[in-house]
Amino acid sequence: MIAALEGLLFVVGEDGLTLSQIEEILEIDEEKAKEVLSTLKASYEESNRGIRIDFLGNRLKLTTKKEHQKYYQKLVVNKENNLLSQAALETLAIIAYNQPLTRLSVDKLRGVSSQQILRKLVAKGFVKEVGRSDLPGRPILYETTSMFLDYFGLSTIKDLPDMQNFLKQNQEEDDVDLYTSKYQEI
Amino acid sequence: MDVKVLDFEGPLDLLLHLIKESKVDIFNIPMEEITSQYLSYLHTLEVIDLEKASIYLPLASELMEIKAKMLLPKNEIEKEEAEDPRDDLVKRLLEYEAYKEITKSLKEKEQERKKVYTKLPSVLTPYMEENNIIENDNTLDDLIDAFQKFLKRKEEEKPLKTKVTLKEITISSRRLEIQSILKTKKRAKFKELFHHYSRSYVVATFLAILEMARESYLKITQDGLFEEIIVEVKEE
Repeated sequence: MIAALEGLLFVVGEDGLTLSQIEEILEIDEEKAKEVLSTLKASYEESNRGIRIDFLGNRLKLTTKKEHQKYYQKLVVNKENNLLSQAALETLAIIAYNQPLTRLSVDKLRGVSSQQILRKLVAKGFVKEVGRSDLPGRPILYETTSMFLDYFGLSTIKDLPDMQNFLKQNQEEDDVDLYTSKYQEI
Repeated sequence: MDVKVLDFEGPLDLLLHLIKESKVDIFNIPMEEITSQYLSYLHTLEVIDLEKASIYLPLASELMEIKAKMLLPKNEIEKEEAEDPRDDLVKRLLEYEAYKEITKSLKEKEQERKKVYTKLPSVLTPYMEENNIIENDNTLDDLIDAFQKFLKRKEEEKPLKTKVTLKEITISSRRLEIQSILKTKKRAKFKELFHHYSRSYVVATFLAILEMARESYLKITQDGLFEEIIVEVKEE
């Protein structure tokens, strides 16, 4: 069973598996699935292996280890590291913390039009359309994808840093609670 | 102030930068100072890229409005009740700043994640169920057959060929036709010589009849007013 799971994770690669998929394929219940998974995970960790199991974008995936990056990089022909632009990161952050939301809401928070950047993010698979808002004109609602989580090494959306830690507070104001609660309405 | 202006992500980003540069308290923005700085940036930008500058215009007008509001004298009651006209802007700035800060941590996470690799999913087509694979006993004929069906369907999908051409009707061609009609019938009603009623057809036919009458080939008779006109071949 453990070996079968290992093979499964190898085959699915970056697509990963959810726990319920594992249950379904191996025809076991959740408890058993978790047990098999942790045994495999532990065996990777105990012995000195080049592969580990990670939980990225709500899915279990086999990945390499960080400390071996230097070796893999030697295989890479194009060394250029394609990172996301500041505009893309801002847009993603706004969507991630407020999803689902419309493009106009993103524009309002950024203070500029996000039309093009949003289209690019959708094309890259970081953001997807999830329906329409009831607002006039029924604008499209956007949400981040599992790929977005994986890209930033996040297991679930809860792994995002707490927004409150980044909001500057007015030291002079006493009613801080009231002040912060304003921002949670978004 | 030069091309650096282009590095801002938008008006809020620029305003945040100005506030930080001037080392002023974001909760107590000196509107006059910041607005004039913002405007001077904007003027520089207008020279470089008018389109980009237009993005910064709405906030410029907002800044001036806030500045104006703050200059207006207030009576005591208003002072008590009125909100600071900067409140809404400050709220937006703080929010934007928070997202900007978060992008820093996202950037770190992005870098960290780049250190590990996953592989593309394996190609599973060889393991597909039999019935998904094209059966082996298909012959070349089946393929040709399928292709022909496809071509036929294509043909049907094509719009009908409708070539719009001008059918030229000449007097001489009508003459020949009238002659052949009269050769079999000897006499014909005038009306019978017209099969269509398009203008060129009618004109050509009429001229042909007139011509033939002038040449004394035809005899045209009418028994009375509004009676049938009879056209017949003149006996030699």
